[in-house]
Amino acid sequence: MRKTKDNKSAIRKETRPDRIGKSAIESPDLSIDFAGIKLKNPVLTASGTFGYGEEFAEFVDLNKLGGVIVKGISLKPIKGNPPPRIWETPSGMLNAIGLENPGVDVFLNEKMPYLRKYDTAVFVNMFGYSLEEYVGVAERLDGAQGISGIEVNISCPNVKAGGMAFGTDLRATFELLSAVRKATRLPLIAKLSPNVTDVTAFARAAADAGCDGLSLINTLLGMAIDVRCRKPRLANCTGGLSGPAIRPVAVRMVWQAARSVSLPIIGMGGIVTGEDAMEFLLAGASAVAVGTANFINPRATLDVLDGIEGFMREQKIADLREIIGKVDAG
Amino acid sequence: MPSNRLHRALIVSHKPVGRGYYRLVLKAPEAARSALPGQFVMLRVSDTLDPLLARPFGISAVISRSSLEILYRVVGKGTTMLTTAKAGQSLSLLGPLGKGFPRPEKKTVPVLVAGGSGFPPLHFLAQRAGSRTHLFLGARNKECLPPADIVRSFKELADKVHIATDDGSAGQQGTSTDILDAFLTKTERREHLVLYACGPHAMLAAVSKIAAEHAIPCYVSMEERMACGLGACMGCSVPMKAGGYKRACKEGPVFDSREIDWSEQVLLKLKR
Repeated sequence: MRKTKDNKSAIRKETRPDRIGKSAIESPDLSIDFAGIKLKNPVLTASGTFGYGEEFAEFVDLNKLGGVIVKGISLKPIKGNPPPRIWETPSGMLNAIGLENPGVDVFLNEKMPYLRKYDTAVFVNMFGYSLEEYVGVAERLDGAQGISGIEVNISCPNVKAGGMAFGTDLRATFELLSAVRKATRLPLIAKLSPNVTDVTAFARAAADAGCDGLSLINTLLGMAIDVRCRKPRLANCTGGLSGPAIRPVAVRMVWQAARSVSLPIIGMGGIVTGEDAMEFLLAGASAVAVGTANFINPRATLDVLDGIEGFMREQKIADLREIIGKVDAG
Repeated sequence: MPSNRLHRALIVSHKPVGRGYYRLVLKAPEAARSALPGQFVMLRVSDTLDPLLARPFGISAVISRSSLEILYRVVGKGTTMLTTAKAGQSLSLLGPLGKGFPRPEKKTVPVLVAGGSGFPPLHFLAQRAGSRTHLFLGARNKECLPPADIVRSFKELADKVHIATDDGSAGQQGTSTDILDAFLTKTERREHLVLYACGPHAMLAAVSKIAAEHAIPCYVSMEERMACGLGACMGCSVPMKAGGYKRACKEGPVFDSREIDWSEQVLLKLKR
């Protein structure tokens, strides 16, 4: 596969002032150019944990977020899996929702108008059960107003066809993303599966297919068993593990992917605080997404944003670009 | 953006009340003012990340317009940890959440049916529903009934409390649905009766069936596992007769019993 390391991305700072003024440190610059999309800050919402924005508007001024990544959308409405769908685990949770959603037409007619009222980037997470369905959703989104980018979910562990079936096969990943690429001019972000041996191969496949960015990670495939009933805790038997329990895995994968491709990365997996987010930025992510933390604290996104800003002030960092990918790994 | 549903709630008192239950009184004036019977709150049992998720608790009473009463049974890691929270400490509280019971009309005779640890929201309803209320309580044996103080409180609030235990150690021998069915059969004027039920799914399915047989409206409060309480996690889905699912946290937890697909519901719960 073609190496993509040469075109160092637009997120790198072109010039760097020798001295940073005091005022710059008091109000550090959190804005970022992510694959050509202007984000006022690097804090986004992970798909499936923030509904379509409206569910959290009572707690979070959506204008303050870098962007909203909405719950995954498919060509037709999806009913989802039978309950039980969730199970709590140490510092985490398993879910097998089964991508329940109202379908792309309802999304565009009923959910998008609400999101358009806000001054924030909107990323639409989408998936399909076949290549044709992915392309169909991409085509419909392409003509819609107010969408900053598409996050292509090739990594849901909870549906039999589609989802992870694409994201754990290199050829299928490349062919799917190439087809979606042809179907839309919108920036494409591939959401990669962590349920693979070498995430860098999939990162390169996404780059080769013409994607503009990467999201990682999706949930880790897991299982919990009720030992007294001798039955799985989830009706689906297996589910996706999320929350602080998976953060080290996510940071590692972001770091590996950032070293192997030049695409900008949205890092996610168990972020609860600003310092958690800093780990991802240092590992090479240009933006972060807050996921499961939204469930335990509906203001988690703003807490993470405050945490990042506080950290930058404390460390006298004037610009995010001084941090991204700057872990000293020897 | 200040929300009036996310609070640090001060623990006013927190004590065991017998039969494995605790009574937790939380000062949360905004939540207390707006709370309706059948609504619930999400409480984080600690500020650490394990256990991670907040727990849903039905509101059992509003006290002096500024505090909420939660009655809970110790059933697992979260509730065990919650027992250690002391008066003077505060807890993260989100709520009130969900849709409560439809408010009984003036002429309504509310018939409350509680099974297992499902009585707290019905206690709040009894507080608001007036003195014509009938309550049906069922349990395996006397020790599995709600704490004695709560039963006493129900007796003060309601016209009559009907009790049944499987082994006959308290009240009549049988299930709450047995004595409910007998009561409805012998009641001549049924046009003002409305059933309100909370408890295990199998019991709710039985109450729903009885309501249909007697052509009486019936509202059930569904207790489901949930992560967020805000309609985002899609974890608390309840299967609908019309197909698909509704969320206990958002469209519920109270549903018209005729909406729910009891066949799948009961089947799944019995399987697991």
